[in-house]
Amino acid sequence: MGRKPRKNDSLPGSLDMLILRTLSLRSLHGYGIVQFIQQSSDDQLLVEEGSLYPALQRLELNGWIDGVWGVTPNHRRARIYKITEAGRQQLDLEARKYAKLTLAIARVMGAQ
Amino acid sequence: MKVFRRLKYWFDSSRRGESLGEEIEIHLAEKAAELEADGMTAERARAEARRRFGNVGLKREESREIWMTRALSELVQDVRYAWRAMAANKAFSALAILSLALGIGANTAIYSLMESILLRSLPVADPESLVVVNWRSRPPQNANRQWEHVIHGVQGILWPGDKGVLVSGMFPYRAFELFRQDNPVFSTVFGYFNGRSRTLAVHGQATSVNTEYVTGEYFHGLAVSPAAGRLIESDDDRPGAAPVAVISFAASQNRFGGAPAAIGQSILVNNAPFTVIGVAPPEFFGVDPAAAPDLYLPLRANVLVDGAGAARMYDDENFYWIEMMGRLRPGVSMAQAQAVLEPRFHQWVASTARTDGERARLPALMLNPGDAGLGGLRREYSKPLYVLLAMVGLILAITCVNIANLLLARAAARRREMAIRLSLGAGRFRVVRQLLTECVVLASLGGAFGVLFAIWGVRWLTYLFSNGRENFTLRAELNWQVLGATAALTVACGLLFGLAPALQSTRPDVLPTLKNVRGGGPRRRAQHVLVIAQVAMSFLILVAAGLFVRTLDKLHNVQLGYARDNILLFSLNARQAGHRDPEIVTFYTELRKRFESVPGVSSATLSQSSIINAGHAGKTYRGAMKIGAVPVTGARVMVAGPRFLTTMRIPVLAGREIDDRDHTGSTPVAVISELLARTYFGNENPVGRRITFVDDNRDLEIVGVSANLRNGGLKQESPMTVFIAVTQFSPEGMTYALHTAGDPLSYVNSVQEIVREADSRIPVTNVITQAAEIDRTISRERMFAKLCTGFAVLALLTACVGLYGTTSYSVARQVGEIGIRMALGARRSAVVWMVLRRVVLLAAIGLAIGAPAALIGFRLVKSLLFETQPNDPGALAAAGVVLLGAAVLAGYAPARRASRIDPLVALRHE
Repeated sequence: MGRKPRKNDSLPGSLDMLILRTLSLRSLHGYGIVQFIQQSSDDQLLVEEGSLYPALQRLELNGWIDGVWGVTPNHRRARIYKITEAGRQQLDLEARKYAKLTLAIARVMGAQ
Repeated sequence: MKVFRRLKYWFDSSRRGESLGEEIEIHLAEKAAELEADGMTAERARAEARRRFGNVGLKREESREIWMTRALSELVQDVRYAWRAMAANKAFSALAILSLALGIGANTAIYSLMESILLRSLPVADPESLVVVNWRSRPPQNANRQWEHVIHGVQGILWPGDKGVLVSGMFPYRAFELFRQDNPVFSTVFGYFNGRSRTLAVHGQATSVNTEYVTGEYFHGLAVSPAAGRLIESDDDRPGAAPVAVISFAASQNRFGGAPAAIGQSILVNNAPFTVIGVAPPEFFGVDPAAAPDLYLPLRANVLVDGAGAARMYDDENFYWIEMMGRLRPGVSMAQAQAVLEPRFHQWVASTARTDGERARLPALMLNPGDAGLGGLRREYSKPLYVLLAMVGLILAITCVNIANLLLARAAARRREMAIRLSLGAGRFRVVRQLLTECVVLASLGGAFGVLFAIWGVRWLTYLFSNGRENFTLRAELNWQVLGATAALTVACGLLFGLAPALQSTRPDVLPTLKNVRGGGPRRRAQHVLVIAQVAMSFLILVAAGLFVRTLDKLHNVQLGYARDNILLFSLNARQAGHRDPEIVTFYTELRKRFESVPGVSSATLSQSSIINAGHAGKTYRGAMKIGAVPVTGARVMVAGPRFLTTMRIPVLAGREIDDRDHTGSTPVAVISELLARTYFGNENPVGRRITFVDDNRDLEIVGVSANLRNGGLKQESPMTVFIAVTQFSPEGMTYALHTAGDPLSYVNSVQEIVREADSRIPVTNVITQAAEIDRTISRERMFAKLCTGFAVLALLTACVGLYGTTSYSVARQVGEIGIRMALGARRSAVVWMVLRRVVLLAAIGLAIGAPAALIGFRLVKSLLFETQPNDPGALAAAGVVLLGAAVLAGYAPARRASRIDPLVALRHE
């Protein structure tokens, strides 16, 4: 591993959004979520694995995701998380906020 | 929703915890497998997976804490810590818990009594819409002190209202009809009057029961449903209706063996036949919390029970007797109802006035809330209860102050611990919170034991309150409201006694403590303030105890003028069993002779009531009297049988007492008391003169003069007494008195036997010794004296513990100083004095604060005292001396210890 993948700490709170986005595409277990984020960011984003579980608990407490014990595609027993309707709404909200923020940052960075 | 999910999580938090652990394990295994596939060894892969994950335990903890709020998990921590701290200091904890249990228990017990007497609603549907109809009026006497009022006769109770007005709930029957007819503000109006005790015979077994006469709307208006059968309805309450009765649930159990079995049974009430049609529900006790009638009869049935003469009551517009309540129509307020009914009543009552004097003092209608029923019990007990509550409140305050004081001393020991925690970065608020949690845990244990103590206390208080009352029905219990108040009180106590020490021991100036320098001036000041407060509060309680004990003492020393001991009293009512004039007189006097013939009975007599209750009970002549043309005022008539003065050991000063010579046909006679003779005859001999009973239009010959006696209650000035012969007066119930050798109560069986032989339909009631009969008129004073003495001892002990603790602590801190003084030649006595001086000074300051508070505060209890002023110097001085003495005693042990300090040891210690 020559390059050091960037840890997800530049935008606090964005881990929740990434998890919701991932689960909006398909239901996954914890490790699956880490892998998905890593792969789909082209290894640019590395989820701090220890932080994942508190984040999952927080999302579950808020009623945005729902975890059920089941079996992964490669036949392992795991707790599979599924996004709820409230979770989709929350994702919409956070995606909009995020778009605004990145736009604003881009404007600042683009200014001469 | 979030709260709901959180709750759900708490319910199976252990399973959730395991689940999370498993999830993380699976994650690690998967990661390790991947790393292994990349070429790592299995062992390295597992280690690397763990390394990348971070601190597994911490993350698990964090994940779990998301579900708990942080405050909650910290609370759990604090409670655990508090438990350990308490267990580490067993003696202190036990003492604190015990004293709190006593304080909280006493408060709970008194409060539950208050709740049952002052606050509780009637057990009927929608009690808030009930109102009691009362009136108020100026005093009925005109300028010449003669009665001039539309009320010509009453049957019931009048009580004083604000500013000298009279208040009552009695009305003429016509007024009840006035309110009952098309009433725009009440959906129902119902009337009732207390029938007092009547003789109830079931299957030939006669007993005396409390009876309530009720109108046909009564049960419907209260919205009560029967436990069995049906209740009294409008059709039952008409002249000539079939005689029916409703009995209480308790009576149905005792007399018929169950509610259903009672229905349709025939009973005799004062020898008149009735049929039981229904049983009231178990929780129902009528509208007066002070009474629990066993028998409810239709109003109009009083003509059957009390004789045809009772029918007059219905038409007499100037005779006040029926009481009533109304149920407000929905949406009508009490003030609106008052506005509508007041003019209506005024118009009616004005039409019943005959003279200008009567018109000048017309009663005015006044509505009162009826949700808690009639207020007799509240009027009688609200003040005593508030006084008691104030006292137990003080006791609890003293206890809290005491614990705060002990905690302050202990805070010194923990100051280093606190300083370390604070310097390691713990927030002050967090540490204070933890210390407060300790206190609340302590208080909660105290509260829990306090409730146990209160269960016993309520029983004991109920016994004290009911002392000597027949059918006293106090329904005090520890219900949810009371327990809620106790819980609140407990937490408040914990915060109260915990806050000051907690703030003290976490003061930000941690450095001196860490350096082990002796600071802490403010803490000693705080301790001193607490001790002074304790002394002042204890002083108040000691004074209260002094005042009430003195009151009781004065009452015990009242000169009765008649025998208190060796007298058995009991009542019977032959008229209620069907005896009529003139035979009833023979029956009563024959019975007296038979009692007198019982071996051991030296004499027997009878009167309309016991002497102590004369004026409150029994039928007697209450009209105007004259000697010649002079009206006699302030005299009371006692209907007495033969040998009354002999039996009661009242000396005969001139002439003779009433005896068997005075029978129905002979000259009517009277015996007057010495004061009466002196007042109206001066130095002349009254024997042979006459006294006129104006209302009966009868002249009585005075045949004797008795010594003075305290006729009526102990607190009244000895009124003048006129004894008249029972044979020459148409008597109702009678109270017999037997002068006995030995314990009067050992004669009860013989008495029962004799009465059963004479007439088995007559129950013997109110069996009691004269001494007990007198004592029960002062049961409240006895209760106060007992309770306050107990409170005073408790307060004194607590204050002593506080003083002892504080002094010991300051001696321990001054070891060095004392050592130096002694090394420089101070004598032991000087050291003792040095320590004691501070104790005495603290106590003196406490007294100086307590004394004015006592002078002001105890004015409020003046009405509860007898021949004792609230500022009684004796009580104040005694309390002061006892308190100072106790303070010196509490301070002496530490002072002595200080004087035994070896200067060498002390200085080396330094």
